[in-house]
Amino acid sequence: MAEIKTGEFMSASREAMQNPTLRQALRQVGGGFSEARLDAINEVGADVWEEWREEARRIKTHTLDHLDYYLEMLYDNVTRSGGQVHFAGDANQANEIVAEIARSRQVKLATKSKSMVSEELDLNRALAANGVEVFETDLGEYIIQLAEETPSHLVAPALHKTKEQVSELFHQKLGVPRTDDIEEMARVARATLRQKFLQADLGISGANFLVAETGALVIITNEGNGRLCTSAPRIHIGITGMEKVIPSMQDLAVFLRLLPRSATGQRLTSYVSMVTGPRRSEDEDGPEEFHLVLVDNGRSRLLADPDLREALYCIRCGACLNICPVYRKIGGHAYGWVYPGPIGAVVSPMLVGLKQAKDLPQASSLCGACREVCPIKINIPRMLLHLRHKLAESPDEAEKSASGAEGLAARGYTWLMSNPAALAAAGKLGRVAQKPFAGKGKIEKLPLPLVSQWSAARDLPALPGRTFREIWSQELRTELLSQPRISEPLTEMQPPNLPNASEVEDGAPGDPAAKD
Amino acid sequence: MVQSVEQPSQIQASLFVTCIVDQLYPRVGVSAVRVLRRLGVAVDFPADQTCCGQPLYNSGFTRQARRLAERTLRSFEESQYVVVPSGSCAAMLRVFYRELFAGYPEWEVAVERLADRVYEFSEFLVKVVGVTDVGATYPATATYHSGCHLLRELEVREEPVQLLKQVSELELSPLPQADTCCGFGGTFSVKYPHISEGMLEDKIGNVRATGAGTLVSCDMSCLMHIGGGLSRQGNPVAVRHIAEILDDQALDGSISDG
Amino acid sequence: MVNPAQSPRGMSKDEFLAGVRRSLGHTEPTQPERPYPRLMETLAELETRAAVVQQRIESGRDSLVDQFLETAQLRGWNVWRAPNPEDAIGYITALVADQGVTQVTRSSQEVFASLPLDAALEGLGIPSVTGARDEHHTREQLREWIIGSGMGITGADYAVAETGSVVVLPRRGLSRLVSLAPPVHVALVRPQDVIESLDDLFLFRCMEYHRNGEDMGSYLNFITGPSRTADIEMQLVVGVHGPKEVHLVMLG
Repeated sequence: MAEIKTGEFMSASREAMQNPTLRQALRQVGGGFSEARLDAINEVGADVWEEWREEARRIKTHTLDHLDYYLEMLYDNVTRSGGQVHFAGDANQANEIVAEIARSRQVKLATKSKSMVSEELDLNRALAANGVEVFETDLGEYIIQLAEETPSHLVAPALHKTKEQVSELFHQKLGVPRTDDIEEMARVARATLRQKFLQADLGISGANFLVAETGALVIITNEGNGRLCTSAPRIHIGITGMEKVIPSMQDLAVFLRLLPRSATGQRLTSYVSMVTGPRRSEDEDGPEEFHLVLVDNGRSRLLADPDLREALYCIRCGACLNICPVYRKIGGHAYGWVYPGPIGAVVSPMLVGLKQAKDLPQASSLCGACREVCPIKINIPRMLLHLRHKLAESPDEAEKSASGAEGLAARGYTWLMSNPAALAAAGKLGRVAQKPFAGKGKIEKLPLPLVSQWSAARDLPALPGRTFREIWSQELRTELLSQPRISEPLTEMQPPNLPNASEVEDGAPGDPAAKD
Repeated sequence: MVQSVEQPSQIQASLFVTCIVDQLYPRVGVSAVRVLRRLGVAVDFPADQTCCGQPLYNSGFTRQARRLAERTLRSFEESQYVVVPSGSCAAMLRVFYRELFAGYPEWEVAVERLADRVYEFSEFLVKVVGVTDVGATYPATATYHSGCHLLRELEVREEPVQLLKQVSELELSPLPQADTCCGFGGTFSVKYPHISEGMLEDKIGNVRATGAGTLVSCDMSCLMHIGGGLSRQGNPVAVRHIAEILDDQALDGSISDG
Repeated sequence: MVNPAQSPRGMSKDEFLAGVRRSLGHTEPTQPERPYPRLMETLAELETRAAVVQQRIESGRDSLVDQFLETAQLRGWNVWRAPNPEDAIGYITALVADQGVTQVTRSSQEVFASLPLDAALEGLGIPSVTGARDEHHTREQLREWIIGSGMGITGADYAVAETGSVVVLPRRGLSRLVSLAPPVHVALVRPQDVIESLDDLFLFRCMEYHRNGEDMGSYLNFITGPSRTADIEMQLVVGVHGPKEVHLVMLG
């Protein structure tokens, strides 16, 4: 499995924000992809777009709710078309399956088209340990492979690199002259990788979709590398998450409409390849063997939680990254694992362990922009809240990570807000206590934990002389009495009887009776 | 646009003032009351109201949040309408209480009843009172910032702008990237101040680009955040809640909070 | 051969699916309570629906062809409308000369039957082969030839007006590399190849799937404009692994 650095979120995000080249790159992604996406949606109209989203969501909901049924169907149809299906419970198993296929067939060289699942598994390292040299063939992936880095975006993996950095990298690693011409860099990659495509024994791809009805694996690319990987070498291994299955071929239409538009604003990518089994005897090309590796690796934890299952509807378009104001500040690497951005903040904690990745669900302002752009209408903020709830209150010690102080603060706040008299007293106290710090209606520094971090870059308003409730009772309330009021109560507005019992007992902060 | 069939004189609204306005910006509550009363709305203020529970809910402490939510449901159980001078707190009451009480059928009726009656202040003026021109004058160049919850949870996009466009002597200048979060996010801004500050910096840049002297919003939490940043930079842009813009008396300060 | 059911490296299918079922909260295999409509259609029903779609396409053929060409152009195809075979051959031979192409591969598809292209290329002294294996060409030799070609020429099984895509299916005499490896690809499309939408395409393919004893063939490929990337600083570059230039010649 790929190295997990989710625990370093705080320092990594701080460093990212001080990296000027990253900031420059992130400005481009935010503007470019998001604007292109909007143009593509406006072209079809908001109503049609909404219908597509609804349809796609219906398909995904249905499939994931019956995932075992459709995986069985997929298995039958891949097998029938001459392919072999393998099942991997975790990353080790997945890597071992691929390594064993490579070993037993004397594979020395493999080409790979972009696959986030293979990044998740750290498949390249596992294959290298088995003597297989793997070449990434997507230009962005190739760049980060040469740089020995990890992708920072679901769709544009090398987005954090400038052309100068790529030029230097190609110069160092490939021995070509430095250039500032991006076309020249693409030519270098084409020439280098063309040879690898033809020499490779094994082509590895991910899958954007798997069609249960026919056993087809669908990949969507712009460069054409996916098609070369899946047709030139004598063996093709498709490796992907078990959630990628959809029931029928006819379901593809809506996903082909949604995915490219959401990802890059394209109406369709240059290449869509649907592969079903190995080559048939009459075919002029294609692999002799086709293997499909279906990976769980923690996905069943998302599946098992009804509040998180929809995270598996994700089609990895990256639209939530491009729109996310947090991602646009810190980029992908700060998230510390393969899946960055809003959807990564849901998926990564459940795949690597919630406690290890506890910052990810918290590091969101819950602005909801991700939900608004998601082509499958995945309610990401709702899932982030659910994860925060687990972190704060889960009965499972493996998930709960809120400190005693946080729990105490929450209980204290609840107690204060449940006692208006105490609140009023606290307010009075605050008005007195702030005096040394308040000047001209603002506070520039307050020596309190948490608040001092806020006041590092922002002034705080000073507490005014009176609260609203004081003004109300002293002045506004009497104005009310002089105003005509409706004499008859509205009968249909009669309130129902509210339940009495609160599930949380009353208790002062720190009161041992107030257990949670 | 106007959905109300009731005469203004019949409308009775309870103000849910929100903690931030109660404690930090009482003038906003005063202006909201004055604007509503001037339009013939009978306003009351259930005195036992405190916090809607959103800070707890957003931090994952749903059990504690539910306790404050139960209080709020009780405080407003007899209200005809509940008016909130905050898109975020109104969203908590209308949208997130449903999530919070999912699996608590005994509360379902009360939650749904509240959801049907709760309105953000500007939304209430346009949809229930049925006005866009409240007859206010406010000599300033302003730009409008929408809070994210107002925009995406309540889907209140046009109402505040409709109201502001009718204010005499107020010149509105559109805010670039108006849909992008200012970086407040409650505890987010305290837990991840560096990211929050980065987002704030962009927002301030966009506010400055408008050349406006006043920044208007329906949420004091955003304004506390953006205003705090502007003030620290020594920027003279004033931050105002929409109720203050619509309340002529706000300018002459007939009720002081001191 | 590895038998996946007994693979010591991974899990057995039954073990894996049992885990999925546990996550879904049941222990026995279950079927969706309501059958999935798209999986329930019989061949007869598909044929009925396809006939209606075909009828709709026929009655709007002319405007559909215009729409296809318009969209194709937007997606990056160089579009040429050839009123007759001579004109198409003229376009292609001019392109060969213009690009300095010295070697061509064409597929052996039906569309070439009425197009004396080989003779024309021969007349220019340009060697060309059809993409079919024969006693002279093994798969490997064919591949070498294609890689060495400056231009690949193919027909199309479908041309989708909605997306401006050319869709090709596997057949004898058509390697995927013909449209992918050479720097220039020319697609020859006939008006009867044009269909309206992705929905039409998948309906027709679904029907054929059932007609062919539930066999999809090994692939179904879309080509929509040239190969492109924006992986460096989000700047568009064409021709990264596939062709830099794609031409679409509408025959008629």
